[in-house]
Amino acid sequence: MATAKGIERSSVIISVFSTTPGIGKTIVAINLAAGLASEGYKVCLADLDLQFGDVLNYLKLTSKTTVAGAQRALLDHPKTFDVRKFLIDYSNNGITFSILPAPLYVFDAYQTDINIVKEIINDLNFCDYIIIDLNSMFSALNLAMLDISTVINYVGVIDFLPALKNYKIGYDTLIRFDYEESKIRLVENRADSQKLINSNDVERLLGEPFYHRLPNDYPSVKKSINTGQPLMFAAPDSKLTKSFGELVGLYSNRPHSQGEAVTDIPTEKNSGGLLSKISNFFGF
Amino acid sequence: MAYRTIVIENDENFLEDILYVLHRSPDFEVSANYKSAQAALGQAVMFKPNFFLISVDNATMLNSVKNFVETFPGAFILGTMSSWNPVIAKQAMDNGITGCVLKPFTAKQLLDYIRLYSARGLHKPAELISFFSPKGRAGRTTLAAVLALLIAEKTGERVALIDADLQFGDLPMFFDVEPERTIVDATQDIRLLTPITLEPYFHKIKDGVFLLASPARPEYAELVTPESLVDVAMMSANIFRYVIMDLPSGFNPLSLNLCRISDLVYVTTMINSGFEVKHTKKTLEMFESQAGENSKIHAVFTRVNPFTEEQREKIAEQLDYPVDVMIPNEYQMISVANSGRLARGLPQDTLLMKTISNLADEIIESGK
Repeated sequence: MATAKGIERSSVIISVFSTTPGIGKTIVAINLAAGLASEGYKVCLADLDLQFGDVLNYLKLTSKTTVAGAQRALLDHPKTFDVRKFLIDYSNNGITFSILPAPLYVFDAYQTDINIVKEIINDLNFCDYIIIDLNSMFSALNLAMLDISTVINYVGVIDFLPALKNYKIGYDTLIRFDYEESKIRLVENRADSQKLINSNDVERLLGEPFYHRLPNDYPSVKKSINTGQPLMFAAPDSKLTKSFGELVGLYSNRPHSQGEAVTDIPTEKNSGGLLSKISNFFGF
Repeated sequence: MAYRTIVIENDENFLEDILYVLHRSPDFEVSANYKSAQAALGQAVMFKPNFFLISVDNATMLNSVKNFVETFPGAFILGTMSSWNPVIAKQAMDNGITGCVLKPFTAKQLLDYIRLYSARGLHKPAELISFFSPKGRAGRTTLAAVLALLIAEKTGERVALIDADLQFGDLPMFFDVEPERTIVDATQDIRLLTPITLEPYFHKIKDGVFLLASPARPEYAELVTPESLVDVAMMSANIFRYVIMDLPSGFNPLSLNLCRISDLVYVTTMINSGFEVKHTKKTLEMFESQAGENSKIHAVFTRVNPFTEEQREKIAEQLDYPVDVMIPNEYQMISVANSGRLARGLPQDTLLMKTISNLADEIIESGK
């Protein structure tokens, strides 16, 4: 893919997207970044949930430089612009990844120019992986980011009927918008939580299997947020950490983790009544 | 019995038109007509009128509406306008008018307006209530839906729910309905609509509660301009005594515009990771910087646990803003919303329902 400056981009862009808010996108983004960094890759995590981004909050970091500052600098001094000046590093036990923080003020977020953001992301081309944390809408910015992404890590939690509806509608919309199915990676979060809706039914509904399923592990996530560390440091032995390791493996093509995810999550039997209701709703 | 009608109109052509229509209808009996409000206020009492048609195109007549309301309590007072003007309709409502009608009209349309405005409720301006949330997943939709049901039940007045969360609105699913017409149709047609013709775009959920649904596909959201949605909301205020709007998350031209015209904005937040209070603080600052004041902006926290006054103070302190409404956690609610049974019966006697019921009482009180 060509950048604004005509250079062929080599970095892999993984956007973390969903159509329901509050289902763990930021946790997924942070742990993808940390996991890929631990494999030795150069990684930047861009927080493009511009108004209410949580990446810095979850890592207990503060930053004076944000994407808003980068935008101003790029507009004022395009020739000398260096995106590196606007990144901050997260380091822990010798593992480091960079972060492009979201603006500190909603007003700045509101002023963000999509084309400028695109240029800034293209300037991160020195990284092996760029992880983009988005918010839960088909906004112009999100679509622009999905366009330039190598893969779309499309996260869903299937614990609530409206959430399932929005996951399905979102997936159908991505397909209608001509994103290749191979580019969309369906990732179920909190996959084994107590829920009314069976994952197999969801896969039937979507017509596509989940690429990966992350187990429900609220205590580990809580520990991670409370200590401001990615899961591999906050809860190294948890099943969720292990599952993230597998997802990172899928994205980094480590030889031993090629192919399907190996997480073994038990699924309940067909729940009958509710499925027929869902089926009626989606007309199949 | 025919309505004893007084017509107040200073435009010759319109007057001729209106009288022609009324004379041919058995439902109306023209007692007198006047070219000025002053003359009508002096003389009309002799006819014991119970129906007025007052041109609100004219500023003096618009201002005199409150005198008519005072002098003729219980009478139907309709403002007539040559083109639909939402601002004038609102001013007329502030003056206590029953409602406004578009000129020219037929006798049947007048009867439709009378039916519509009788069902609406008190002859008072509507309360426009917006539910805003910074990031979503805040319980915003559940709160809006339950509140609409409770207000309608308590007042017997008409309540509209507008699902302005255009891409991923959940209200149709909450009520298990799939309305044929949506907000996209209403906003596309609004320039040609009147309160009578806008009413059928709303889907009746149950007595007194009507839904203007979000579209079926996210990309249709693009067809809705903020200006046209503002017009739809403002016209809905003529059909319904309460207009409750479920907004898309975050700040965007749509949510900002609907908040601007709202009488009450509830910034709704569910406490989860703990950073939500921070987001709400940013939200309140943004509202303050945009509008210069926050008097109509109220902070609502859902799933508050522990549900105590100490907790309220703790959040308020972090927020540097009063916490007006606290909603407790209620798992039962999720399963009710999940099954689309919301309109068929709310869980009774729970702390959650009691809290929302109190909020409904406060809103009803402020709208009187």
